[in-house]
Amino acid sequence: MTLNKPDRESVPEMPNRLGIAGIEFIEYATSRPQALGQVLENMGFRPVARHRSREVTLYRQGSMNLVVNASPDDARVSGTVDGQPVISAVAFRVQDALKAHTRCLELGAWGVASHAQAMELHIPAIHGPGSSRFYFVDRWQEFSIYDIDFKPIPTVDQHPPAVAGMSYFGVVQYIGAGRSSDWLTYFEHMFDFSSIPDEERFGILPKGKLMKSPCGSFLWQLVEPDPWMESGDDSPECLQRLGLGVPDVAAAVKTLKAQGVEFVESSQLHPEDRGALTRNVLGSVAFELVHK
Amino acid sequence: MNMLAGYGMDTITMAGSLEAKLAAMKRAGFSQVMLMARDLVTHPGGVDAAVQAVQDSGLRPTGFQVLRDFEGLSGHLHSYKVDIAKSMLQMCAATGSKVLLACSSTSRHATQDLDAIAADLKKLAMLAVPLGIKVAYEGLSWGRTVNEFTTAWDVVCRADCPNLGIGIDSFHIFAANTALDDIEELDPEKIFLVQLSDFMWQETPTFEERMTTARTFRVFPGEGVHSEQLAQLVMRLDRIGYRGDYSFEVFNDDYQQLPLDVVAERARRSAMWLHQDVLHRTAPLPSWTRQS
Repeated sequence: MTLNKPDRESVPEMPNRLGIAGIEFIEYATSRPQALGQVLENMGFRPVARHRSREVTLYRQGSMNLVVNASPDDARVSGTVDGQPVISAVAFRVQDALKAHTRCLELGAWGVASHAQAMELHIPAIHGPGSSRFYFVDRWQEFSIYDIDFKPIPTVDQHPPAVAGMSYFGVVQYIGAGRSSDWLTYFEHMFDFSSIPDEERFGILPKGKLMKSPCGSFLWQLVEPDPWMESGDDSPECLQRLGLGVPDVAAAVKTLKAQGVEFVESSQLHPEDRGALTRNVLGSVAFELVHK
Repeated sequence: MNMLAGYGMDTITMAGSLEAKLAAMKRAGFSQVMLMARDLVTHPGGVDAAVQAVQDSGLRPTGFQVLRDFEGLSGHLHSYKVDIAKSMLQMCAATGSKVLLACSSTSRHATQDLDAIAADLKKLAMLAVPLGIKVAYEGLSWGRTVNEFTTAWDVVCRADCPNLGIGIDSFHIFAANTALDDIEELDPEKIFLVQLSDFMWQETPTFEERMTTARTFRVFPGEGVHSEQLAQLVMRLDRIGYRGDYSFEVFNDDYQQLPLDVVAERARRSAMWLHQDVLHRTAPLPSWTRQS
């Protein structure tokens, strides 16, 4: 008799070949950093450091790092219209950034040239949807990447606590009509994301296709235009908004309202126990709260 | 409704400037055009001016051709071809074309391993995802490993990628004498392009004959000796549910020295033959029925 049980039911493994372990930071690009900064501060983020050579500010709350890039080149390249901020990058924590980058290039990703100046970190990146990028960061355990490229803002708490227990929950990507299967395959192939069944949804905006990161720590939602809007909505693909997980949606809404954040409150869409959506500000910035 | 809506000409058929070709196609009643990379790079105003000319014409790009000898290479040859492919994809995207045509390799340096070929095509498809492009893989009748659409389909199935499909070219089917029954094996949703042409010889047994005929002496559907076969092909595609475009891939040295309107008129007659005599699609009622 053998103690090894044969693989009777062929339970699929969940590969994580890049060693993805969460989101290290989110980057917005904008030509109006002060206006966006105000929005972020209302949401509980605090500016904690400034980039050594470029017009880039690091915001933080709890486990979330958020970078606002107002460097003229980046803000323009990222296609910000009329100063509307865009989510210009998502940085994944990975086991080995160079290996992750090399593997993605071998699988058919487009590499991005580095802008790093002398003594700055070269963070390998590939092109994402629209004008966005995906960065790979492997130094998130032994020391902080921000200590190299950023100078702390004096007298500011470098680790402000998260308001209402918020943490990164997911990213919503707007895609072209009929493009769900293309992007699903892309994320599965590149990053070992896996699809979540249509019956399983979180928050109050369940449309589209949902995927889970291989580490299980964040979700990725693909939303196509409404079928009856197809001819009218050919806007470029983009990373549309962030989902923030909270333990208690009602409490979070109350706290954020007190800080000046407005929520969408219509008969169809309004804060519920499952989630809430902030009103669009600066033409393009909204956050979704999701019960975690 | 325009009866020519589902049919288009190919810029390679006519002589003259890109603007003159587009204008002639439009005058003949066509609303789409199959573009070639050479149209862009040989334009006196450069690629941007060529793209502008396509946009100004109001013609919809059927697709963009052609990436050659991409798959099955290794080492520096592979890297070189990936660079070429990226440039082709960028030009394809610039013109607003949703389909890039990739022809099966003729290279003796390429592997004949179908799984390796499929992996390379998957990489090409991944490169195409962020740009919103589909890749149509076509078996050239003188391809080294893949020279029939049946093998091209096998490779596409192995790659299993939503934005990688098959391109059908009637010339190569007739030149290679592939059985039309095999059309039934195809998934109509994965046929991304159908190119039609006829030719004047009954047989093209050698690769050399196929190449010479393909590049100098194709004619429009209905003008050659394979019209009956061509009608069979189109009817079979229609029967399995193909509802995409038909593009006339007619390389012909004689047409290169005829007035553009004469050539475009031949193409229009060919489209009408396909539409009314072969597919028996509805035609607008004659004008006398509309008089009160």
